[in-house]
Amino acid sequence: MSLLLSVVSSLALWVGSSLLVASVAIIRPRRLYGLWNDLRDRLWEIRKPLAALVVVLIASAIGRSSLQTVSELFGLQLTWAIYALEGNFVAWLQSTFGSPQLTMYFSSVYVYGYVFLLAFPFLAYLALPRTTTVKRLLVAYALNYAIGLVLYTVVFAYGPRNVMPDMVTSLLFTHNPEFMALTGEVNEPTNVFPSLHTSLSVTVGTFAVLTRREYPLWTPLAAWLAASVVIATMYLGIHWLTDVIGGTALALGAVSLSYRLVDEE
Amino acid sequence: MARHVSRRETLAGVGIAALSAGCLDRTRNIAGRDRSSQLTLEINAPPADRDPNAIRIARHLAENLNAVGIDARINTLGLTDLRRKVLINHNFDVYVGQFREAEPFDPDAMYAFTHSQFVAESGWQNPFGFTDINGTDELLASQRRTGGDERREAVEDLQRTLCELQPFTVVAFPDPLTAVREDRFENWTNRQPLSVGGLLGVERVDAGDGDADGTGTESGDGTAAGETTAGDNETTAGDDETTAGDNETTTSDNETTANGLIGDNPFTDSGDEEGDSATLRLVTTDERITQNWNPIAAEYRRYGTFTSLLYDRLALVEDGEIIPWLAAGWERVGDSGIEVSLRDVDWHDGEPVTAEDVAFTYEFLQDTSMGTTESPVPTPTFRGRVSAVDEATAVDEMTVRLTLDGVNDAVGVRALQVPILPKHIWEERTDVATIAGFEVDAETTEAVVTNNEDPIGSGPVRFVEASPEESVAFERNPDHFLVRADDGDDSTGGGDGSTGDEGDPLAGIPERFRGKPAFDRLEIEVMGSDIAAVQAVGDGFADATVSNLGPDAVPRIGREADARLVTGRSGGFYHVGYNTRRAPLSNPRFRGVLASLIDKRSLVDIAFDGYAEAAASPLAAAPEWVPSDLQWGDGETDPVHPFVGEPGSLDAETARDRLREAGYRFDEEGRLIAPGA
Repeated sequence: MSLLLSVVSSLALWVGSSLLVASVAIIRPRRLYGLWNDLRDRLWEIRKPLAALVVVLIASAIGRSSLQTVSELFGLQLTWAIYALEGNFVAWLQSTFGSPQLTMYFSSVYVYGYVFLLAFPFLAYLALPRTTTVKRLLVAYALNYAIGLVLYTVVFAYGPRNVMPDMVTSLLFTHNPEFMALTGEVNEPTNVFPSLHTSLSVTVGTFAVLTRREYPLWTPLAAWLAASVVIATMYLGIHWLTDVIGGTALALGAVSLSYRLVDEE
Repeated sequence: MARHVSRRETLAGVGIAALSAGCLDRTRNIAGRDRSSQLTLEINAPPADRDPNAIRIARHLAENLNAVGIDARINTLGLTDLRRKVLINHNFDVYVGQFREAEPFDPDAMYAFTHSQFVAESGWQNPFGFTDINGTDELLASQRRTGGDERREAVEDLQRTLCELQPFTVVAFPDPLTAVREDRFENWTNRQPLSVGGLLGVERVDAGDGDADGTGTESGDGTAAGETTAGDNETTAGDDETTAGDNETTTSDNETTANGLIGDNPFTDSGDEEGDSATLRLVTTDERITQNWNPIAAEYRRYGTFTSLLYDRLALVEDGEIIPWLAAGWERVGDSGIEVSLRDVDWHDGEPVTAEDVAFTYEFLQDTSMGTTESPVPTPTFRGRVSAVDEATAVDEMTVRLTLDGVNDAVGVRALQVPILPKHIWEERTDVATIAGFEVDAETTEAVVTNNEDPIGSGPVRFVEASPEESVAFERNPDHFLVRADDGDDSTGGGDGSTGDEGDPLAGIPERFRGKPAFDRLEIEVMGSDIAAVQAVGDGFADATVSNLGPDAVPRIGREADARLVTGRSGGFYHVGYNTRRAPLSNPRFRGVLASLIDKRSLVDIAFDGYAEAAASPLAAAPEWVPSDLQWGDGETDPVHPFVGEPGSLDAETARDRLREAGYRFDEEGRLIAPGA
């Protein structure tokens, strides 16, 4: 459909140019040059974690709809429990801080910023002389997706915008309905716990802190973007605070597991 | 749903102390009782993306229930899961939903919905498990059999009884809002855009010049339609020779038909986006039509509009007008018989539609196992309608006799409105449904659970392709009687001798449906939310929305330059349904208090942006049936169970008093104590 195509091409354009600028500014031309010369060897070196991530992504793409059915039939219907736990936090967040400018900001961060946030560290860590970090990053991504998929299947719940539309506006889709064409392709509305946006952003943020010696400029930028994405998930009415806490826990678990699975060379 | 601390836990806790104290008997008397706990009610509703109105009603009710000390929990479920839970499994406390009639309906629609004879059946019949043998049941039976004032009285009493006993609480009749753009298709009806009549009444703007002339002068219209359909018939003939039925050939055949049609038609030579211009593009938030085309599946049908376009019924009722549809006509024979003569039509696979098919359909819907299971497995929808027919027999090839169960004419006409199914396909589906060869439930047949892929009906559109949860495409059926007979009328249809002797083969069909549908292809695309759907119409990706629009989406229609709001009258009232099998929902007094917690007036403003009519009676869409004491009128509040409090603010203390009067008790924290199960 042409609507989807236009969103995807605009996304590719924006993220592509940001990656270019950030690569030059943060990775620096010298390392980029080294990466270019050594690209084939490095990709070969990281083939196992890369293959693992690709397998998880393909499995998720293929199995998602059948797992969704399993979730509908046998999943724990926990929407009420999440709501009972945190009440109107998301509604409070929206009503207290909501403004057109912030909506604009968080919408773009949620879509464009997020994709950039996930893509850039792969480049940056691949440009490092040793491949340990990029391997760990890939393993952590794969763990996030794999565990997230299991939790999505076990927990059947809808997000705040679907449950309390009288108090929480679905800001992303109200102001940018075209984004729905994109997120509808990759997300089921019942996949809220945990928030994968949160877990992957926090994963990247954690890595950015752990690698602050290599890329001191990236650390504050990643922290800012990750925090923005995390807040955006709630501000836009898509996720509960509970999903965000779950996502953060998942991220920290995935990072620490990735350190155990991939040893220092 | 009430949770109790188990007896064993309690006993373990006090066991030792009790033994040492030596008063085991007293301990047993206390610990043997179930501990009291707060009443919990689960309210099931679809999420906002799927139905923006229902969840708002659920939220409103939950808030007020919590205010009076009942622990209300909202459980959001997809449309199919919700129906399965409520209609099939009866495993719910409270649900919020819409009645299944798209248009204002005859009072007999309440027969299957509330008669106690259906409590054990699954589907759209009495999901509440409501039993009122001497009141509701008798009135339902009497309104079926009587006529005139006697029926009117029964119907009025029936409404009074239902309002008093509240097996469900009517909230409001929504306006069937539709955002349309009229640059490609026009003449959107202002009665009910999403209905068989509404969709068939739509005209193409492309052929606009021709049509505009045509409506003025009969002959102009006739030639235009004649020419296009002549082209159709040529390919149809070829179609028949190569024995269609194989879906692929049918599809490819029709592609050429479409091209040929545009080449032939002098009115479409404007040159803009050729094949696309004859496609009516609809958007919905209801994905079910992309997954399942079974006209009797209760989980998947909302109003059944699109399956009604696939499967003709004997009669079509539009805005109170009874139109002989698949039936060319009928007459009453004796006391309880109707003799129906059929039009000469074919199924989408080329087989002729016969009286045998019609007789089969009525028998089949009574028992989809056709007598092969221990007890009958009736259809989950249309149950009330087929229960009015005792027997259906084929008199000859084209005539079928229905023996009615002593019902009046109005109910008889309702009985004519069930989808007629091809015997040669559905008689294969009478076995008990299995998963991988295992019988899971002897109460279910294949017919009830099949997704009915590649549906073969006789209707004005036929199935082309679908991609589940994304889109579905239908195409105009060039063999349908609306098209074919219209053609035969003008150009002395070759070989159509059988219909010739009746004079006008389209007798009884209103002018606006002749030669229809106006589209060659009908595409329905699933959108993420009502807002996205309205946006798609505004941006020109779609011609109309066909699912419910919420208060955030409606104002958006006004802001889109090309989009317009069309509305009408709906029969699909929103209601809160109670599972009367479960205490305390089994108590009509308790249900009455719940009903008075619903501020219908405010909900109309909040949940529907004013585009709905609050109501007390389920028949409010047909006001001629509603007695004056049940009419909402200009009053601010419900005539039977008025809202407790001022509009917009609940008087929780008074509501508690009502509950106390009804015999319910509260603990010191104001929580309603669940009565022992």
